[in-house]
Amino acid sequence: MAANLKNAAAIVGAAESNEIGYPEERGPKVTSLQHHIEAIKNVSDLTGIPISDIEGVFSTGWSQQLAEHLGIRPHYLDTTTVGGCSFQVHVHHALAAIHAGIIDIALVSHGQAGWSYRGAGGGGRPVAGEIDPGTEMTIPYGVFGAPSNYAHAMVRHMHRFGTTPEDFAHVSVVTRQWAMLNPRALMFSKDTNPFGGPITVQDVMEARLIAWPLTLFHCCLVTDHGGAVIVARPEIAKSLRTRPVWIAGAGESMGHQNMLEMEDFTATSASRSSAIAYEMAGLGPQDMEMAMIYDSFTITAAMTAEMLGLAPRGKGYTLWKEGHAAPGGRLPINTNGGGLSFNHSGMYGMQLLVEAYRQLSGTAEDGVHGIEGKQTNARTCVVNGTGGTLSTTGTLVLASDE
Amino acid sequence: MAYDKPIPPKGLHTQPFWDGAKEGKLMLPRCTSCNRVHWYPRLICPFCHATEIEWIEGSGEGRIHTFAVQHRAFGGWAKEVPYVTAYIDLAEGDRMMTVLRGVDAEHPETIEIGAKVRVEFEEADEDTHIPFWRVAETS
Repeated sequence: MAANLKNAAAIVGAAESNEIGYPEERGPKVTSLQHHIEAIKNVSDLTGIPISDIEGVFSTGWSQQLAEHLGIRPHYLDTTTVGGCSFQVHVHHALAAIHAGIIDIALVSHGQAGWSYRGAGGGGRPVAGEIDPGTEMTIPYGVFGAPSNYAHAMVRHMHRFGTTPEDFAHVSVVTRQWAMLNPRALMFSKDTNPFGGPITVQDVMEARLIAWPLTLFHCCLVTDHGGAVIVARPEIAKSLRTRPVWIAGAGESMGHQNMLEMEDFTATSASRSSAIAYEMAGLGPQDMEMAMIYDSFTITAAMTAEMLGLAPRGKGYTLWKEGHAAPGGRLPINTNGGGLSFNHSGMYGMQLLVEAYRQLSGTAEDGVHGIEGKQTNARTCVVNGTGGTLSTTGTLVLASDE
Repeated sequence: MAYDKPIPPKGLHTQPFWDGAKEGKLMLPRCTSCNRVHWYPRLICPFCHATEIEWIEGSGEGRIHTFAVQHRAFGGWAKEVPYVTAYIDLAEGDRMMTVLRGVDAEHPETIEIGAKVRVEFEEADEDTHIPFWRVAETS
């Protein structure tokens, strides 16, 4: 029987790199490392925790390089790389490491120049001489990146539940509304981007088709981002100038790696990761006052809302369609504008964490983090990251002091 | 015209599949312990974890589980857009991916989940005949 880790640690600060989105005006490209380092410096300044006090470093494969670059010698290293939900998983692991008494202060860091270095990656080409059989048996079939895969899940959802592309379009419309309250959002306005907010369901439906039924506006952005959070044990969390946001529950789970092995195309492992997190927290979906849900695509957010118990099966989209998820609604969702309208660097889980921290610490609205109307009254938030092709999930149940 | 779409490198334990494909046979891995067919090919049965896997000739029949219409593609696929990718429930169990043939990509509403499909092979190079699935005339 696992120990109950409820509130064994808190997120004590969250920050981003200096310029996110499309940072082209800056001249030379911003590197992923630079996004990391700026965010780490900013979260250290925010919390007053010296970088030299960091004992554990959690990142998607960067931990050694970051520690060396920062001139620190951590005694706990984690490089878990499971796609966009990696950062929820890092917080889960940091919680366990702190609970076990191995470290007191953990850094979780993200840096990804998704825009600056778009197209520069490996492009998914197999390495000669070694290929996993799942890739071998899918590579001939003309799927390119996430949208071409995720569309299959949306079609199955439509078949099973009678949902329509218009139903899912509401997710995009509502996240634009939130983006209009966030000056750092790429889709803040028509001035910041021709596709910026506000948009209508008709706009979503008439946008360029990427992979039917997904149009461009059903798909997340590709941007730059850096972000970092610090996780610390309760005694430290209570002593800082920043407000702690408690990790009441945490869980992770995987359904598959290759979409070939996705047993039910209308469900993800978030049902399991959230069940673990809710149980640890002693809270349920009915206790959540807001949610940060990975929205790589409209279908991802709507389906995940069902998995998290926030809506009945097949009805996730109604949270957006009926306005509950929107500014002023009863269950605000993706209050930063989401991956659809704020920022999505490739792995979006850090953006979820940063916004959840700001909302629950009361710092979501100050001109940099948001303008009037962005700050909610929420004291609890379920945060769910999704990685791969609806593959792996990490869920956190976060709570403020009140 | 030479085949201009991605041709997979061959793994170390999948050769019977490619050998069968050259003869127009859909070879499938089956566990000799629990008798279940699995896809993609494993080094260990994902159901019972036995390691004795045999290859059987499949019926080449299945049904559409779900699909999508690709409008954005690269390389050899770019000139084919729009085309329909799909996951196929095999008659023997488990699921394969494919590009569907015999469907109207411009009218996805005419494509039926559950429709019967049959496998066919296209020669990509001397060693590689790639399976594609075609919707049967009547479902």
